Amino acid sequence: MKGRTRHGVAALTGLVLGVLALGPGLAPGYLLSFDMVFVPDPSFTRMTFGLTGTVPRHVPSDAFVTALGAVLPGGLAQKAVLLAIFVMACAGAASLVPARRLAPRLAAGVLYAWNPFVAERLLLGHWAFLLGYAALPWVVAASAGVVERHGARRLGRALVPAAIGGFAAMAVSGLAALAVAGWSAGRHERGEGPARGGGRWRAVAWAAGTLALFSLPWLVTGWLRPSGMPGDPGAVDAFAARADTPFGTLGSLLLLGGVWNAEAVPTGYGVPLLAVCSLVVVVASLVMYARAVRTPWARGLAVAAGTGFVLAAFGAYAAPLLKGMIDAWSGFAVLRDGQQYTAPLAVVVAVGFGVLADRLMSAAGAALGVLALVVPVVLLPSLAWGAAGRLEPVQYPAGWARAREVIRADRVAGDVVALPWATYRSYPWNHRRTSLDALPRYLGRRVVTSDAVVIGAATIPAEDPKARRLDAVIKSAGPLTGPLAAAGVRYAAFDAETDPGNPAMARLAGAERVVDGPDLVLYRIPDPVAGPDQAAPAVPAALAWAVWIGLISWCFLPSRTTLATRTSPRLP
Amino acid sequence: MRIAIAAVTGVLLAALASFGVVHLANASQSDPVIKPLYNYGSR
Repeated sequence: MKGRTRHGVAALTGLVLGVLALGPGLAPGYLLSFDMVFVPDPSFTRMTFGLTGTVPRHVPSDAFVTALGAVLPGGLAQKAVLLAIFVMACAGAASLVPARRLAPRLAAGVLYAWNPFVAERLLLGHWAFLLGYAALPWVVAASAGVVERHGARRLGRALVPAAIGGFAAMAVSGLAALAVAGWSAGRHERGEGPARGGGRWRAVAWAAGTLALFSLPWLVTGWLRPSGMPGDPGAVDAFAARADTPFGTLGSLLLLGGVWNAEAVPTGYGVPLLAVCSLVVVVASLVMYARAVRTPWARGLAVAAGTGFVLAAFGAYAAPLLKGMIDAWSGFAVLRDGQQYTAPLAVVVAVGFGVLADRLMSAAGAALGVLALVVPVVLLPSLAWGAAGRLEPVQYPAGWARAREVIRADRVAGDVVALPWATYRSYPWNHRRTSLDALPRYLGRRVVTSDAVVIGAATIPAEDPKARRLDAVIKSAGPLTGPLAAAGVRYAAFDAETDPGNPAMARLAGAERVVDGPDLVLYRIPDPVAGPDQAAPAVPAALAWAVWIGLISWCFLPSRTTLATRTSPRLP
Repeated sequence: MRIAIAAVTGVLLAALASFGVVHLANASQSDPVIKPLYNYGSR
């Protein structure tokens, strides 16, 4: 089968997996699950570009979905993004398997797109991070040839999904890219491969430069944020990997699970029988990878997987050390949610599984190859059909649309405060499932929420300077109208606890109740004083965006728009 | 021999699938848990 057909079949397999995983979630409406919030008719605001003083974790992914939402309305943008994750993951992993047969390649693709890592991150709503995960196999292949002619362009093309995903996606892609670039170049220096024009450090420098340029939108707004980059050491325990199988935290991470949030674990995952079978598959795949995969990127990817595994376990097994590191430099906070660094291990397991399937087919016939395709699905059945019904689309209530109309028609400037004073919601119209407060993306104005995060009994302090300023006022029992107006707030929106008996509403004397519904109550506050955000300056941010967009365009301009790299395994 | 391996593997996969579905069905019948309204999650 020719290369393009192979990629096409793998992409189609990924699409089938995506449809199977999302199931009823593909119906009209919006999927709201933890950090995944898509809204109808999204609009570009200062928040979209990270210019409100909040930590720019949503940059540039929010801008991407806002642009996509203009083309694909009514929740189609969300479905397209989620399906694309499965398509890219399956096609990418399949392209890495050094095998002639199609079935083993597809088996690797299926395992990479259908495993606990994908399920848990999907339920946690980390779609932007999963974009980077899905393209990671292409990043691995491209990194091995970064010093070749057009190598940086190929790496750039492979990095586009991660660049759209933002900070977390780029962190994991960077780990893999740097390890593969450095190791592959070193391999050639030692004469273990065809000679090339660059050494180890040149390859690493090229990869690092490409990664830095593709990170500019969030890097600039994050660096220039006046209140600096927050890093609360107390969050280490909350975000550390945890055991979701009988094999403890390390075993759970090895099986590509172990996410910190117990509520994001797929239904029924971790039962001993399926966990033991999964362990057998993973260990056999790792052994096969070590014994049989000899591609230019193989050792570099193994280094990335090993490093990622250590980082994943770091917060769980060396919490005091990580807390000390974050105290010394808040940038180490990127290691708190360590489980995400097992992504390179998922690539290793998938490729090893593909090679294992190829060997089994040679020994026992084609039937085993077909069976290998369904093994990942059988071992994790609860990802199917909207993660066993947990991904169910909903429509925003009519009261929300009315509030947006009122706010858009108002010419008086001023922010919106979202109440109750909390980051996450369990909306009754979303079946009480946890999701990020959707108002900041829905209303099209600057919405101030308490971005303090509550996990069990632990509370991670707010990061938004404006939220920190308002915190004491809102938590007090005193009147709200005057202090909110003085802080530049024009509206107070209740999207939970909308009962008229809510004591917080009594504190808004003098404010006009302009929307009154069971799902949202909106108060208009008279005479707000201008209260600008302490945010990164707009000019450097605009320059960063210009460079970023120009760079992406440049990567695609000179050659065919394909992600099938020259460093994909050559068949004998 | 190949047919035997394929048959055994098929039976094993079918058994695992059945077990998974039954376990899933059981888990989904568990009583609803009252959880805090504004929490990000729990460990």
